[in-house]
Amino acid sequence: MPPSRLPLLQGTLDLLVLHAIAAGPAHGYGIAALIDRQTAGVLIIEDAALYQALHRLERQGLVEAEWRPSENNRRARYYTLTATGRKRLRDETSNWRRYAGAIEAVLQE
Amino acid sequence: MDRNGRSRPLWYVRRERKHVQDEIDEEIRFHLQLRVDELVAQGVRAEEARAEALRKFGSVERTRRYCRRQDERKEATIHRHLMVEDLAQDVRIALRGLVHAPILTATIIATVALGIGATTVIFGAIEAAFLRPLPYKDPGRLVWIYTDAPPFEFRFSVADYLALEAQQTQFESIAGFTSRTMPFSTGTAAELLQGRVVSWTYFRTLGIVPALGRDLSESDGTRGAPPVVIVSHGFWQQRLGGRTDVIGTVLRLDGADYELVGVLPAAVGPLEQRQDFFVAAQFSPPPRRGPFPYWIVGRLQPGVSHSAAASELRAINGRIFPIWQASYQDEKATWSLTDLKARLVGDTRTTAGLALAAVALMWLIACMNASNLLIARVTARRRELAVRAALGASRGRIVRFLLVESSVLGSGAALAGLAVVWAGIRLARGLSTNYLPRMQEIAFDGWMPGVLLSVTLLSVAIFGMIPSLHGVAGPIDESLRAGGRSSTSSRAARRMRRALVGSQFAISTPLLIVSALLLVSLNELRQVDLGFDDANVVTGSVRLPAALYREEGSITSYWDELSRRLAAVAGVSGVAFTDSLPPDTAFNINNFDLEDFPTPKGQSQPATPWVAITPAYFQVLGVRLLQGRLLEHRDTEPTAPPSVVVDRAWATRFFQGESAAGKRFREGGCTDCPWTTVVGVVSDVKYSGLAEPDEGTVYSPMSGGLTRFVVIRTQGDPRAVIPTVRQVVSGLDPDVPLTGIATAHDLVAQSLETPRSLSLLVTTFAVVALVLSVMGIYGVLAFYVEQNRKDISIRLALGGGSAEVLRLVLRQGLAVVLGGILVGLFIAYASTRLLSSLLFEVSATDPWTFMTVALLLLGVAVLACFIPARRAVGLEPATVLRSE
Repeated sequence: MPPSRLPLLQGTLDLLVLHAIAAGPAHGYGIAALIDRQTAGVLIIEDAALYQALHRLERQGLVEAEWRPSENNRRARYYTLTATGRKRLRDETSNWRRYAGAIEAVLQE
Repeated sequence: MDRNGRSRPLWYVRRERKHVQDEIDEEIRFHLQLRVDELVAQGVRAEEARAEALRKFGSVERTRRYCRRQDERKEATIHRHLMVEDLAQDVRIALRGLVHAPILTATIIATVALGIGATTVIFGAIEAAFLRPLPYKDPGRLVWIYTDAPPFEFRFSVADYLALEAQQTQFESIAGFTSRTMPFSTGTAAELLQGRVVSWTYFRTLGIVPALGRDLSESDGTRGAPPVVIVSHGFWQQRLGGRTDVIGTVLRLDGADYELVGVLPAAVGPLEQRQDFFVAAQFSPPPRRGPFPYWIVGRLQPGVSHSAAASELRAINGRIFPIWQASYQDEKATWSLTDLKARLVGDTRTTAGLALAAVALMWLIACMNASNLLIARVTARRRELAVRAALGASRGRIVRFLLVESSVLGSGAALAGLAVVWAGIRLARGLSTNYLPRMQEIAFDGWMPGVLLSVTLLSVAIFGMIPSLHGVAGPIDESLRAGGRSSTSSRAARRMRRALVGSQFAISTPLLIVSALLLVSLNELRQVDLGFDDANVVTGSVRLPAALYREEGSITSYWDELSRRLAAVAGVSGVAFTDSLPPDTAFNINNFDLEDFPTPKGQSQPATPWVAITPAYFQVLGVRLLQGRLLEHRDTEPTAPPSVVVDRAWATRFFQGESAAGKRFREGGCTDCPWTTVVGVVSDVKYSGLAEPDEGTVYSPMSGGLTRFVVIRTQGDPRAVIPTVRQVVSGLDPDVPLTGIATAHDLVAQSLETPRSLSLLVTTFAVVALVLSVMGIYGVLAFYVEQNRKDISIRLALGGGSAEVLRLVLRQGLAVVLGGILVGLFIAYASTRLLSSLLFEVSATDPWTFMTVALLLLGVAVLACFIPARRAVGLEPATVLRSE
């Protein structure tokens, strides 16, 4: 485990969640595990915040939920990106890149 | 929200609150379980793994609440979308269904639209007449001032007006006005204009500002000032081309030049309606109290009460009474005032109430008829609806669908009703007679859209609610089993439909009775003896321009020459002149004091119509001499002793059995004039309207005068001589207009215009009500026969005679009809007396009328019942029973 973990920047959780299910449908636990793996555990993401984000995104029509059998054959709620969600992911990704690039450029000075 | 392109089921049910929470809990439980499983797999003990999973999750409770709020909001959005979509789908289905039943749809829309539209128009008329403030500035302070001598109301004289103007303190201003016709000459042709002579204060008192030019000024009203005229907007548009440069030009009125100083705005008040011009009165000091041609309006000072102003009016009248005692002795008559609007509206509440009742009842019957038709439709569709219900459509959903169908019909009816309103407003504005005041002011603004909307909503509620509730009443499986026949709910429907049809007859009966009473009255009015031979008589009004005929000699020679030339026209057998025309145009009403029965001091003298005539008048109209002699040419000489002829009603009123010939009186309140002698008595002629009793008429010899009615007796068709008469008048002097040409029959028809249009209105609606009621009973019976084919066939197959079946079916229908008619007769008996003032020579509860209408209704209903009954008799038992 790294010595210190970073709290999540405001507003980035939605982007991470959308990105996590861009590859295919996933349930909440799967998304949490994926993000943990991809960030190598650097970011602190509370499960509670993740589920709240999922339901918020669902209400906004960016993701859809459906009950399906999971890998070990239990009923799980799977989330999929909608067309609107996919577009939002593209926009947010490019926004984030410009943002991060700008900050980086300042710090390089 | 139908994202998969699938059609969503009709009976979509919203997710319950509990389900939302359960799903969230299951999702969180699943997450925690996986976490625990993972930790256990790493070797953590189950207890600790559980605690670690919960710690890592964060606040479960807050998440549950948050997610639930999100999910519920999402559900609500979806639900809203679904509602709209369902509604759109329902509307589509309803439209398709209604298009497939064109007769039903057209009947409902047409009848309900007529009801909605007519009710709205009558509401509009009532609003314009009774509720709308007068279109004058600050109308609450305007009052009508008159001489009150019960039972009569008199106008003011110049002397009265000048005294009031000089002495009053309670009014901001007062104004006097009187009617005047003036020939308007364009050089080539002359026509007669209708207008007013007004005090210069008239427009400022009412708060009217000319749209063009200026108001009258005080100098216009001073004696000898150059004459000026203000014209109406309509006159300016039609005769002056609507040009703005006409101010200051000269109009040739009555043979004299008037400077045009102003044009009124297009929208004017009821006092200015139908007036072409307004000229300033130039008052000169009067030699005596009378005559009394001026109507007076006043604007009260702010804060002054009617009673304070009224007591001042009485005081001024009391003060000037002694000054004019030589020419006016009526001490009982006082000055009084009333609210201007109340005076202009007058006594038209009965008429308004009747018109509103007639349209509202017709509308109600139309709605009931629609309801009845729709119940039949729902009953026939119960099986379809039951299938839907069995498939899971909630009752609310089915009711909603049926209500949507009704609303589609209602919208159609409202649109068509709008067209009826448009036509109705045009009709009301264009009516030649006003049976309600201020009809010109009806407009589709203010109240009317609201009334239209409310009446429409009410209609939908009436014809939509009952069938909808009926559509889902009763156990559904029963409807399925019975295939919509003979079940308890269909019995309930039959009861409901019968109640509706019975009510229709209960409403149609009084409507038809009222219409019959009005028609009987109208017929009685037509039968009234006019008192003269009205075949082959033509009349017209001739008006000499005052400025061109100044001398007595030229006036007399004009009339003599006109008479001579008209008499020479081929087909004319007699020509006379008069200032009044039967049956309802008495130019003058005069008071007099009989030598034998002098009126006590301070009492009102008797007054009767006073008709000036040339000697040929009696012979031309065929009025018979009963006593004494007729007026002769020598009676018109200035030196001749004043002589008059009276009619029989006059003689009977004042001298009962005695001969009136040779009796004497003094005219017009004059105390030192020479006696006037009655030289003869003639038969009665109507001058105060056909409905009024004869209270006596006095005929005086006519001499001079600028305005006369010409009365011509023809040998053949009176219309044939009209073109020649026109030529004669314009040939004699092109500046003299001949107007109002009419045969005696036309005059009678014109005088009956108001009762005729009222009875036409009521009869129209009564007939619509009758037709709808008959349709109703026909529909119910046809449906009864259709639903009972089996029973009837069995009866027929078992040897029941066709007469028996006929009786059975007829009894079904006539029980309903008879009940309705009886209730209707009772309603009519209780309510028609409210209309007594509109009836003539027929009692409001005339038994013959009641009986005739009841029998007529019954007869038509029997015919309507007979058709389905015949169909029942004609059933082929074998065919019917096999098909069942």
